[in-house]
Amino acid sequence: MILMKKINNHNKPALWVNKMLFILAMSLQLLFFAGCKHDDLSIALPNENIRQAGDFVKNNYEMTLFYAALKKTGYAEQLNGAGPFTVLAPTNDAFNRIGIYNAADFDKMNADTLKKLIGYHILPRRLLVNDIPSNGIDIRYATLTGPELYVSRAAFNPNGGVEKELYIDGVEVIRKDVVVANGVLHLLDNVMKPNFNKTVQQWLAEHADYSVFVKGLKKFKLWDQLANPAIFTIFAPNNQALADVGITDASLTALDAEKYLGDRLFGAYILYDRHFFISDSQVFSLINSNGAYNYFLKNDSHYMNFGGGKQYPTFKLGYGLTLRSGNTFSDVILNSVNSDLTAKNDNLCSNGIIHHLVSGLVRPDQAIRK
Amino acid sequence: MKTEKFNNRITTSRFKQLAWLFASCLLLFNSGCVKVEYSKIDDPAYLRVFNNLNYVQTLGSKDNKVPFFCMLINPVLDGNGTPTSAEIVGDFLDQRDAYAPPYPSHIGTSTSVNNPEYPGKENVLVGPILNGFDLSSWAQVPSGRVRIMFAYRPKNTMPFFQLENQLKKDILIDTTLNLTNKEVYTLHLLQKDFVTKRAGILLREEIFQKLPLSDSLTYVNFYNMSAKGYWEADKSLKADDYLMASFQGGMKDEMNVFLSLYENQNILSNTEATVPGFKGKYIANVKLNTATGMVNPYVSFPIWAGKTANGITTNMWQRFDFFVPGMDVTNNPFYPASTDNGGNWVSVNCLQNGKVRMVSNDNAAILPNLLVNIHSGVNNPKTFATVNTIEVVNGRVYLTTIQRKYAPPIY
Repeated sequence: MILMKKINNHNKPALWVNKMLFILAMSLQLLFFAGCKHDDLSIALPNENIRQAGDFVKNNYEMTLFYAALKKTGYAEQLNGAGPFTVLAPTNDAFNRIGIYNAADFDKMNADTLKKLIGYHILPRRLLVNDIPSNGIDIRYATLTGPELYVSRAAFNPNGGVEKELYIDGVEVIRKDVVVANGVLHLLDNVMKPNFNKTVQQWLAEHADYSVFVKGLKKFKLWDQLANPAIFTIFAPNNQALADVGITDASLTALDAEKYLGDRLFGAYILYDRHFFISDSQVFSLINSNGAYNYFLKNDSHYMNFGGGKQYPTFKLGYGLTLRSGNTFSDVILNSVNSDLTAKNDNLCSNGIIHHLVSGLVRPDQAIRK
Repeated sequence: MKTEKFNNRITTSRFKQLAWLFASCLLLFNSGCVKVEYSKIDDPAYLRVFNNLNYVQTLGSKDNKVPFFCMLINPVLDGNGTPTSAEIVGDFLDQRDAYAPPYPSHIGTSTSVNNPEYPGKENVLVGPILNGFDLSSWAQVPSGRVRIMFAYRPKNTMPFFQLENQLKKDILIDTTLNLTNKEVYTLHLLQKDFVTKRAGILLREEIFQKLPLSDSLTYVNFYNMSAKGYWEADKSLKADDYLMASFQGGMKDEMNVFLSLYENQNILSNTEATVPGFKGKYIANVKLNTATGMVNPYVSFPIWAGKTANGITTNMWQRFDFFVPGMDVTNNPFYPASTDNGGNWVSVNCLQNGKVRMVSNDNAAILPNLLVNIHSGVNNPKTFATVNTIEVVNGRVYLTTIQRKYAPPIY
């Protein structure tokens, strides 16, 4: 009873406090409502134009050369339009690597070629990394120019572990999913090198620094096949690279073709029926723990190990070729070359891909017909 | 004070009434609208389909077409020859799994649409229990003469008929089958020639449901459905899959099969104790056949042969060695871990869930135990005899297990 009384005694002031609180709350609400009346309140409207793809590239110091190209080709205006777009923007470094250092350098290029090339770096869609199939290889997307590009994405390793690498036409994407108002932008480490309707044969013929290689292919009757629609991956040594293994224009003229195995001496640089970007090797080493590809040279007993990946310490893509006299452990290594001029690889032609090779593989004395 | 309490009570009871009314209305509305349309196939045949065209995603094979299909039975074509619908559709037909379990239980936790077999994950009418064998892994299909198509499809999750028209035109197989009412069939999509890459199908009319099979023997038969010229082909042309160990390179066209029964599947060693009388015992001969759907004879071994077997459960496991005729376990010239034997010797260990390898170096591929150990009645586990098929396709080996209907577990 005493306890009850005590509680009752306490109850009365509690009720009083409740009432007071209620009144306070009501008046506070009144104050809130009154406080909302601000006639001259104005909020700055967000500038909706600031992150259009075209302006975004313009405002970014890392992409000034790409913007110059967009402007020259008229795409800059279009990229501020409705979209959606996916912009694959090469950095200034990427343009420098192919010999373009300022906006004036674009004037030296054929205007139509430039327009096709830049249009190839824009997709008429919004493509986020997650829209690309996980571990998808050579997924093709149409570009603004028309022809498709090849996207490979390493997303996970079957043994467990997340991978986050993306390559487009063999070029590494170094910054992904930059969202802009009318699409998305990905930053490329190199300029893509599509050659549209050009065959590997035409490409080699047009590049004077591979003239000795071309001459050798012609001499050993390997040249004509390169115009066929079949698929080739070519590791093309330039004139200096062939001089390293003792093959020059003059020595080639003096060479008696009957005495040498052409399928080894020059066939070693041709990989038949395969379509490899250097990045494919890197992607497969991530998603399949095996980025190597080994094969016998066509019409020859010699065996080649091809493997690519990121090179230490630059962490840029490169590849290695090792030529052996056969496929067993005890076979002799003829030559092993590591080629790491990333910007000169992955020349995509209509019937294959051409990579630059920094050193020759076979000396003439290693290919003597017995 | 009292009236206040009373009022309170009235409001709560009224609220309760309203809530009940609302709930019962909801129930009525929901249940009243359901109309169940039962699908039914008259005179069905029972069909199970496997896609034996396998692939490994490697650098060398990245440009090959992925053998990922949509199966169409009795398709309806439009004027351009593009399928627009079909009586039976088995979409997302992926390469088959190494193990085809007796019940489509492997589907349970899957979040992918890719189907390792048909019916597999498809929610369709399935077969009944015939002679004790539960045919829930066999789909009902119309009997008689049916047209069957396997169409290549892109590897994504979009149903076949919603794809763009140009993606529906790549047909690998278009042929007719003759299916008899109430017969059990297995259909294999496979490569018939490794050099020309010619693909085809093989229809097998199963007989296990008609045989007087014992409950204390486990039965197994063997098939070699490899492509012609696979084992002869150069290693560089074959898929590189180290899990397949000695099977990678394929086996020769005629092989003898030897069975070893080991006492305990918890000891991961193939030099441990074997069941007396079952160490490299000759059991069967298997020849390459991708042309006829003949059922190869079943051979059996007793499930309670092991020393620790108690009539309820056993830990016994099986190893099958395939040797070229003239060679057997006693005159085997290869060292135990040798995987590259020119197709003369391949082997497979069947234990546990088919995911564990021997602790020592060993050349065997791995598959699950032929015996099914599962909670049934009060016994956990209880061992069941099964009927099995081991199929060798190119560089791979597959196990299909069929089990009789068994008592549910009592917890």
